[in-house]
Amino acid sequence: MKRLVAAAAAALLPAALLTACSADSQPAGSAAPPADLTVYSGRTENLIGPIIDRFEAETGTAVDVRYGDSADLALLIEQEGDRSPADVFISQSPGAIGYLTDRGLLSKVDAETLDVVDKDLRNADGRWVGFSGRVRALVYNTDQVDPKTLPKSVFDLTAPEYAGKVAVAPTNGSFQDFVTAMRLQEGDAVAEGWLKGMADNGSPNYADNTSIVQAVARGEVPMGLVNHYYNERALAEDPTSPTDNYFFESGDIGSLLITTAIGVLESSDDQKGAQDLARFLLAAEAQEFFSNETYEYPLAKGAKANPALPDLKDINVTTFDLDKLGGGLETTLQMIEASGLTTTS
Amino acid sequence: MLSVGVVVVAVLFAAPFVFLVAGALEAGGRVGDILVSEAIRRPLANTLLLGASVAVATMVLGTVLAVLVGRSDLPGRAMWRVVLALPLVIPTFVGATALIAATGRGGLIPALPRVEGFAGSLLVLVVFTYPYVFLPVLAKVSTTPASAEEAARLLGHGAWRTTLRVLVPQLWPAITAGGLLVFLYCLSEFGAVALLRYDTLTRSIYASRLLDRELSLTLGLILAVIALAVSLLMRRGGESYTAAVGRGGSRITLRLGPVTPVAFLVCALPVAIGVVAPVAVFLTWVLRGSGTVGVGYSGWGDDLGFLVQPVVGSTAASVSAAVVALVVTLPVAFAQVRRPARWVDGAAGIVTSVFAIPGLVVALALVSWAVGAPAALGWLYQSFPLLILGYVLHFGAQSLRGGAAALTGVSPRFDEAAATLGAGPRRRFLAVDLPMVLPGLLAAGGLVLLSTIKELPATLLLAPTGFRTLATTIWGAATDGFYAEVGIASLVLIALSAVLTWLLVLRGQTRR
Repeated sequence: MKRLVAAAAAALLPAALLTACSADSQPAGSAAPPADLTVYSGRTENLIGPIIDRFEAETGTAVDVRYGDSADLALLIEQEGDRSPADVFISQSPGAIGYLTDRGLLSKVDAETLDVVDKDLRNADGRWVGFSGRVRALVYNTDQVDPKTLPKSVFDLTAPEYAGKVAVAPTNGSFQDFVTAMRLQEGDAVAEGWLKGMADNGSPNYADNTSIVQAVARGEVPMGLVNHYYNERALAEDPTSPTDNYFFESGDIGSLLITTAIGVLESSDDQKGAQDLARFLLAAEAQEFFSNETYEYPLAKGAKANPALPDLKDINVTTFDLDKLGGGLETTLQMIEASGLTTTS
Repeated sequence: MLSVGVVVVAVLFAAPFVFLVAGALEAGGRVGDILVSEAIRRPLANTLLLGASVAVATMVLGTVLAVLVGRSDLPGRAMWRVVLALPLVIPTFVGATALIAATGRGGLIPALPRVEGFAGSLLVLVVFTYPYVFLPVLAKVSTTPASAEEAARLLGHGAWRTTLRVLVPQLWPAITAGGLLVFLYCLSEFGAVALLRYDTLTRSIYASRLLDRELSLTLGLILAVIALAVSLLMRRGGESYTAAVGRGGSRITLRLGPVTPVAFLVCALPVAIGVVAPVAVFLTWVLRGSGTVGVGYSGWGDDLGFLVQPVVGSTAASVSAAVVALVVTLPVAFAQVRRPARWVDGAAGIVTSVFAIPGLVVALALVSWAVGAPAALGWLYQSFPLLILGYVLHFGAQSLRGGAAALTGVSPRFDEAAATLGAGPRRRFLAVDLPMVLPGLLAAGGLVLLSTIKELPATLLLAPTGFRTLATTIWGAATDGFYAEVGIASLVLIALSAVLTWLLVLRGQTRR
């Protein structure tokens, strides 16, 4: 019986601790204010938390952030409907935020915020706007591959000399967005043929971009299709990593720019605070943060990329009517599944 | 009174089923097509093959380890008790990442074959889930009097033969209960098998969650139905053995002699793969550091303040979930053992099978329920109590099966004797049954605790906004390749789990 009491006490203790601690984390002297703004973020805390902290400090707006996978959070917002506590959704990729656009759950982003970026980096109807981006790239092992021999186009990777050599992450959102863009630029038949070609070529599939970069660094597979940013991260963790990014030729769909996007929920009762955050993420301070500290490309007109990265102009990334990336995800997923690319190993 | 409790618990645990059935109903006439589609057959076969293989392997390994630690004269038994439980605390997706980094070309030990595919998934899941068998079986060993084994020895049976023929049958309910948990865990597992590139049904559930919600939920329902069928088949975890009477649960009956080194290796191997290898990888990541500019943890010597909130969050969530799960499922366990009836088995089956439903689906079910609840209950949404309810639904199977296995070992004759002395049911439970089953209950609570501390998908969706646990921290860092941070947070997670397991579970068992 004594142990039962002890166990009950043990259960209550952490709850008490938790209350004490959450009070502690508020600025000294102020009673814990309820959050003014709730953000659901598919971008992880390391990549966006510091800039949201600065937004809080500069505007005095208390922000709560729920981090998670973009697709899971989009499902959550759909399930919550009108009663969603979220004011803002930040999506890792156009696909997940497009899911919410299609369901009419987003209100319009302010025109002056939209105007900060080129029109191909935002939703045509103004439902979301991109604020930072990654470029699709071919990461390769510098010990195994001479970059001069690498092809000009992602379409060349289905050639016999690349059999079993190019890793892909077919369940990853960025890969799916890339395939959607390919369908829209080149047509469904070409995209279908490419997927089939990659599958027939025995391209090994991995869980995500990070796994591919690690496998390439180990020499397990000589190259892989990823976003540029993951190799920069790998080098930050291990400067000896024998990996580098290769970008396909100008205009090739293989160097597509994938945006991280923000949208304001229609159901939010703080439209102004939400719009403020969107504007803040496109202002100079935040754009410099993405450029200098997270190795992403800033998307505001005139913002400068990290000097360690090749200039966007030199890569000649394929920008796109990103609006269409959101829609059409369904067909893309069916196409990937049907190609057999998800079950190669 | 007991029946009412059982019904209430069953209704609670049926919530995810209702959600899945509703989703499948939306799919309507397609359900038949989905069931026979080629796309489902292979992942489903893979899931079942992996689950069954891992279950059998862990039943053997977990039992051998429990008998060695609980009955033999193996040196360092007190230490093995703790370290053999530890692999359970490492989230499988992190464990898989670490083992992938440890083996194969360019790995820490390049000579070892690369971990991947079916063999890799089997290895990874066995080393990270055998404690589901080891912990309850060890608890059972500690409460099983050695008198039957001693009698067998007096009759001239050898020590090994006695262990196999006399002790193991008494442990059988705990062994099968643990094996069932492992099987159900494998059904719901997603992170590790995806990293190891083995195609299972959960991958299809995740891959279709935005594309085709009905398909995703129908696949989830398939998992749940399989789980329900299997848990009903194994409803009471085998026959109840109450042959032996008396004390002496911690008596040594197995003198190892010349096979001591072999026994030592058997204990050391799972610890080497499930604890030492990942810890070594985490340490290299931390020591290698990270050239992060302004984001993330940069390696040895950097400020650890960012881990305080996750440590508090993990502790609060896991301890609360363990206690609540024990309290909630105890009536069902008690009814199942003492008042067996078909409908009670049905209730227990529902509780058990929720464990096989992926955490994401359990979470979405609770969200749909809480969002649709009357406004008076609006505060409940994304509150700490709802998060705990999510854990209890997802992991109640562990406290139920562990609790039932513990109760099975107690002869109802004690209870009857107390009744003839005039003790009422409550007093009989508290004074007679509870002290005898406490080690088993603590082990069951320990399983819930360790499962909760590494839980991810439900935590991300159900927790109060801004709530952090070590698992969510590790996930965030791992997603974008912040390996130094994954390393340090994982080391802290292992340390915290070891401390909690020792304080709340093992101390109570060894003190007897």
